[in-house]
Amino acid sequence: MRRLLVICHLSLVVCLAAFAQSQVNYNLRVGTTGEVKVLQNFPETYAGEKVNVSIQHSAFTIVPADGLPYLEQLDYVFADQPVYELGIWGDSIYSYTDESEVRWTLWRNHREIKNRAQRVRAANAYKTFESYVRTHTSVAKRSTGWIWLVFAGMLLAAGIVYAVVLILQRRKEKCLTPVEQEMLRRKRVSLRRHIGSQAYLWLLMVVLYAPIALIAVFSFTESKILGNWTGFSFQLYANLFSGKADAGLNSAIIYTVVIALIAAVCSTLLGTLAAIGLYNMRARQRKIVSFLNSVPMINPDIITGISLFLLFVALGFSQGLATVCIAHVVFCTPYVVLSVLPRLSRMNPNTYEAALDLGATPAQALRMVMLPELWPGMLSGFILALTLSVDDFGVTFFTKGSGGLETLSTFIYSDARKGGLTPELRPLFTIILMVMLAVLIYINIRNKKQEEK
Amino acid sequence: MSKLVQIFSSRRTWAWPYVLFMALFVILPLILVGVYALTDIDGHFTLHNFAKFFTHSEAIQTFLYSLMIAVLNTLICLLLGYPAAYIMATADFRTPKVMAMLFILPMWINFLLRTVATVELFNMCGLPLGEGALLFGLCYDYLPFMIYPIYNTLQKMDTSLVEAAQDLGASRWQSFWKVIVPLSMPGVYSGIVMVFMPTVSTFAIAELLTHNNIKLFGSLIQDYITTTDLLNYGAVLSLVLLIIIGLTSFFGDHDAKEEGGGLV
Repeated sequence: MRRLLVICHLSLVVCLAAFAQSQVNYNLRVGTTGEVKVLQNFPETYAGEKVNVSIQHSAFTIVPADGLPYLEQLDYVFADQPVYELGIWGDSIYSYTDESEVRWTLWRNHREIKNRAQRVRAANAYKTFESYVRTHTSVAKRSTGWIWLVFAGMLLAAGIVYAVVLILQRRKEKCLTPVEQEMLRRKRVSLRRHIGSQAYLWLLMVVLYAPIALIAVFSFTESKILGNWTGFSFQLYANLFSGKADAGLNSAIIYTVVIALIAAVCSTLLGTLAAIGLYNMRARQRKIVSFLNSVPMINPDIITGISLFLLFVALGFSQGLATVCIAHVVFCTPYVVLSVLPRLSRMNPNTYEAALDLGATPAQALRMVMLPELWPGMLSGFILALTLSVDDFGVTFFTKGSGGLETLSTFIYSDARKGGLTPELRPLFTIILMVMLAVLIYINIRNKKQEEK
Repeated sequence: MSKLVQIFSSRRTWAWPYVLFMALFVILPLILVGVYALTDIDGHFTLHNFAKFFTHSEAIQTFLYSLMIAVLNTLICLLLGYPAAYIMATADFRTPKVMAMLFILPMWINFLLRTVATVELFNMCGLPLGEGALLFGLCYDYLPFMIYPIYNTLQKMDTSLVEAAQDLGASRWQSFWKVIVPLSMPGVYSGIVMVFMPTVSTFAIAELLTHNNIKLFGSLIQDYITTTDLLNYGAVLSLVLLIIIGLTSFFGDHDAKEEGGGLV
């Protein structure tokens, strides 16, 4: 059994290392950029020059190292591709065909091409181009192998440490009485369980946070493409705060904040009133309204989005800021109701009546008696509404219309579809992460203090 | 005037604006989905769109494939998430709260950004994008939704029951299967609902994680609903999804989402 474990462990290490070795290679994946020395006439004009290649979803972009644009020269790279040909137009290499629409989908989605033969040819064209770039240029080797080597090393180290600990323990064990040995064995079993479960949690945590950490780390470098470390710099943060980032991103941030604030304020007001009303309803009415309240929460956002989209189409509303705000209020309010309700059930229901009896108007009673009690619930509802609104994609996507309104989510979506991620998104994301962390810690501390009280 | 004051001082009426709002923007739109599904472009009643769905092999295939992916993802999340929730709820280390919080934190970060980050991670590690990446990404996005409800129920569980089982001679394994698992079922149900429903209706994640090579039902709906003359057919597809969602939420705990809502 033990021998089997050792063999498994070692072979896993070897496999990882071998995989790492195979990964030291050209990497022509989408998003790759790098300096390329043209070995042969790749495009003729570039022979012997250094150019930058950037591979996007739709195109291979080639820019000479001196940065001069390469204009309107049409070269057929593959004359042997009858339908899908690859050519250079401007500073990009495109594949094109008579049906110009296919161009965009060619490399992104072979499956969208209905005709099977065409699809195969498209896929082949891509492959040929890839091998052409590999053999005729020295594409910057972006070795990704080191990641796997690190994994292999960590695994090996863990194994060695474990083996050493085991051997040392075994030695100590030999000079003990049988009873002590048994006790030690039991202790070790529980310890092993503890270590095993902790290791599992931490492993899961590492996997969960790896993509997030990747973005956070690469927010401190200037490179356009994620994964290319070009030295430590705060440039992206500076760009973000000085408004030098992409104009679309700036307006998306502003819209996101505006929409979130409007939606959160409206839904907090509406939801608080609704919660008070709901709390004072008779059981049957209450059931109906609670069901109504749970519908938007059960509905996935695509359904909420589509149904609202159909409503706005049917009513002839022009979609834009107003419709997005309405939609956000729709899915935020139920959560506000739910966070205010527990507060209501905790407060003395007679205080409001007492205030009225003592001559307060309903508005006064609401302001001076109810609000101070409901305040914390409203606040957490407000925060929840804010985060939900900022986080939303599905509903916004269907209700934003085609007027160019973008929130952060939809901006990221269209940005990612185009192939790259605007670099300034990385620092923004890091900041959001930090804020979220701070808010969560704050809430946790607050809850703990309340519990202590 | 005094009557008006009376109406507003009865707090029951305070929910009216909300009920009205919900009727207009939640119930009416849902009815509209059905109406659109049953009419053609000119607004005449027709069953043609339904007939089209049942003969449209691409739609059916995508639908079944999405269901499969959703089930698979739910299963993976359950298998990965249950042990994590169990460990956190029962372990006697000092900071289980912080740990649970750390697991939930990614939930509050825009899921598209997380998805893009996953894509970049795959690129960086030199792994191909495709079905594997799709499952990884989905699991990565929705795992917290599985862990949280299970963790909640396990934490509230009466541990003396487990001790009693062990006192009565049950082995660790037996007490786990016969006591802990049945007691945690409500959490498992709401976890399943919270993972399954968004997965089956997801549309952006699949596109980004597979470079649009794999299409899920959500993307199909999006394609049709945003094309003006196919809007009615898109409504049929949404209706199909709605039915699935309805079935799932009946299967699952009714207040499954409320637990998620109580995160803060």
